[in-house]
Amino acid sequence: MSNEETRPSAIRWYYEGLKEGVFRAMRCSTCGQLTFPPTGCCEHCGSWSVEGAEISGEGTLLFATHNIAPACHPRFEAIAPYVYGHIRLKEGNIVQAIVLGVEAVPDQLHALFKRGPVPVKAETLTMQDLPVLAFRLAG
Amino acid sequence: MRNMLREPVAIAGVGCSRFGDLLSTPGLKGLSLQELTATAVKEALDDAGLSGQDVDAVFAGNAMVHSSQVPGTYTQLAKWTGTQFKAGVHFEAQCSTTSVGAAMAAMAVAAGVYDVCLVYGLETTRTKVKGYSPYEREPISHQQTWLWTDMAVNQAYGVPQGYDIFSTYNGLVALGYCRKYGISIEDYDRGMFELCRTRRLHGSMNPKANVQETLEAKAASEGFSDPYDLWRSDQHNPFVAWPSRLMSLVTTADGASALVIARPGALRGAKAAPIGFKGFGICYSDLPWYGEDPTQWEFDRRACQAAMDMAGIKARDLGYLHTHDCSHISGLCTAEMIGYLKAGEGLTAAREGRLRFDGDRPMSTHGGRHAFGHAWGASAGSDIYEAALQMRGQAGRRQMPKRPEVAMIHTHGYAMISTAVVLGAI
Repeated sequence: MSNEETRPSAIRWYYEGLKEGVFRAMRCSTCGQLTFPPTGCCEHCGSWSVEGAEISGEGTLLFATHNIAPACHPRFEAIAPYVYGHIRLKEGNIVQAIVLGVEAVPDQLHALFKRGPVPVKAETLTMQDLPVLAFRLAG
Repeated sequence: MRNMLREPVAIAGVGCSRFGDLLSTPGLKGLSLQELTATAVKEALDDAGLSGQDVDAVFAGNAMVHSSQVPGTYTQLAKWTGTQFKAGVHFEAQCSTTSVGAAMAAMAVAAGVYDVCLVYGLETTRTKVKGYSPYEREPISHQQTWLWTDMAVNQAYGVPQGYDIFSTYNGLVALGYCRKYGISIEDYDRGMFELCRTRRLHGSMNPKANVQETLEAKAASEGFSDPYDLWRSDQHNPFVAWPSRLMSLVTTADGASALVIARPGALRGAKAAPIGFKGFGICYSDLPWYGEDPTQWEFDRRACQAAMDMAGIKARDLGYLHTHDCSHISGLCTAEMIGYLKAGEGLTAAREGRLRFDGDRPMSTHGGRHAFGHAWGASAGSDIYEAALQMRGQAGRRQMPKRPEVAMIHTHGYAMISTAVVLGAI
């Protein structure tokens, strides 16, 4: 039996969480702030003293545009063009991610822009080879 | 951080190839990557009145090893540039590569280590080696170029989850700008049209530009009597990230640039008076590039402030500014943050022609990333090249009526390495 410790990757831990509909982050023991998505070091103060946490998935969509088609990455060829948004999480972090519940056409995006910030809720979008973070318009 | 160069540093020579396509662009067609680079290096060394053997050290950079296939670049190019047996390093800072190289060379000179440094950048974003041939090339698709380019962006979470340069760099910034300043989408579109028109005007007066056709000429060739109708045509100028259109973006290019950075006292025989390398600033960040306000990029603020502090200048001293304009709206935001343009007035300035070579706030007179084109690791050097030409009065038809005494060049190395360089009198 090996006595070497297995050190799990934060990246793997994050995507495994997404598969289960859990949105994983790191909380800093020094400054108390969240790093999302997780790394091994606090993005705010640089402390290495971080521990696993979860975010609520609640947020506010500040702006929404769309990506280019064909998509730059083959993973997203099937769904391009898709809506891509600038989101403030309830916890305060800024995230950019795919947005669901609105079509990637100028009229709909213009109407959304005129509405101003709108609530969104995180969910897992299952691509062929990877679960990815997405946000759906709430209400 | 003392943020100072302890000894004066000069740009003694500048060189730049034409930007375009090694398979089709006149002046480039048929060249190898080695010969493309040598074109820029020879021009810079000739400009400085030096040979490769007068150089103490070489700083050689490129960004995409997938297409610019010369790892250990400075060793493979030593016999093409006459720099055998010199000190050197191969490095990359993506699209800030040549500015970061200039900063490293300036530090080496100011520290008293070297007297004369050669900095060069090379890149092919349009073509790549065909199979295993040492000289045949083939085109790269846009999708492939961006897939490779995005290897420089957050590969843990950003790219795997749908990050898209056009959304993040263009569409979201445009929307943030419009909301912040109460600008309608229609007015935004018109402002972007005018800015593209200016950049293409500059490109049409630059024999080294990738795109040398004015927007008016392109419209006429496509059968439009009003160029704004071409601009609004979804067929000819589609939205790539609403409300940003295709012609508000970078055009890809193959190209190379070179700079000779030296101790002023070590120079002799230069063709033109050397220009002072007065200051630089570098600041990097991972995604996201901005907080709630997509128009405010902290790493840009820090890089530009550091460069201006080192040079001892204020924004009001700038006679010429280039900001990284892969995205035209992002480039305007940077100019406003620096204080070269008033906040929220960039689009108006574009519509009034103030950003033209003959305007009172000239920017990117070589044509910028859209018209001059973008060869990732070589582009920052092309920006410094243009600033040097303007300062010397050598910019030909696009020469600014009043030569700038102080110039600043800002670049974004994907993603993101913000770099600012200030040039002035020695």
